[in-house]
Amino acid sequence: MTPQLSWYLALSAVLFTIGVVGVMIKRNVISMFMCIELMLNAVNLTFVAFSSFFRDVTGQLFVFIVMTVAAAEAAVGLGIIIAIFRSRESLDVDDSSTLKL
Amino acid sequence: MLAVLFILFAGMAVGCAISMVVQRHPLYSAISLIGVFISLACLYVTLAAPFIAAVQVIVYAGAIMVLVVFVIMLLSVEEEERRSMRLRSLVPIAIGLAAVFFAETAFIIFFVHKSPGTPTGNISDIGQTASIGAGLFTTYLLPFEVTSILLLMAVVGAITLARRGGLISAQVAVVPGHASYARETLNPRAYPDLTEVNADNSREAAALLGVADKTPARDHE
Repeated sequence: MTPQLSWYLALSAVLFTIGVVGVMIKRNVISMFMCIELMLNAVNLTFVAFSSFFRDVTGQLFVFIVMTVAAAEAAVGLGIIIAIFRSRESLDVDDSSTLKL
Repeated sequence: MLAVLFILFAGMAVGCAISMVVQRHPLYSAISLIGVFISLACLYVTLAAPFIAAVQVIVYAGAIMVLVVFVIMLLSVEEEERRSMRLRSLVPIAIGLAAVFFAETAFIIFFVHKSPGTPTGNISDIGQTASIGAGLFTTYLLPFEVTSILLLMAVVGAITLARRGGLISAQVAVVPGHASYARETLNPRAYPDLTEVNADNSREAAALLGVADKTPARDHE
């Protein structure tokens, strides 16, 4: 018995939903950031599964570019988190209800 | 065999993901997230995509998570405290949406079964590094180059954001009577009685305040 495509899609949906729930219930900026990374990974799993089952390399190229975007997002996002922490001394999103620093 | 591996690593991934959301300390969340990344890399191997699996471990579990753990350590993050739930009236809506989600997932599992699924695990060059490189440098050359511009922008943005004092300023803050320092090397909270003058560098500021410049002359950019 080999894994079907639908198994991978279901796993991806479950991981994505866990990420969405995490973004909604977490109050720490860094935890929310990690939940966003989890959602990106769930989508990557879909891409790789489709690429493998339909024998097309395009999906894996997409994953490569998504990983680059995630790395850029990590660099800029963590810079923003450090700037917020410097000005507010807190990482709680409830303390950062305005965009003004 | 592949099914056993899938169930093992899928269980690991879901378990680590749930643990990540449930943990209250961000460091434990980060370690759980590394577990998710490793299990996903193993799943990529079962999908005959070894290059993506290696990049997943190197870039995600290596680079990005090291960055996150650095920031967590740097900022001395404390645990989230428990707070009372707000917006309790949204709970029925949440349960309804969860039911819709489960119905959709069941529908997908039922529906995709009927699409022609080709088995994986056969010998193919789809996931090999050579085929990915060929696609990246022929058909998708433009996205590849745009990605490099994106990375350059990220580098510039990260440096600009992480600078003390925000944007680059030529102004100089001066401690009266003694030496003068560029504003971005000072923590403004530590010196409440700073006198501020508008100057391009320390020498000019010292001249404006009428104090001798004790700092050694330095080529300014």
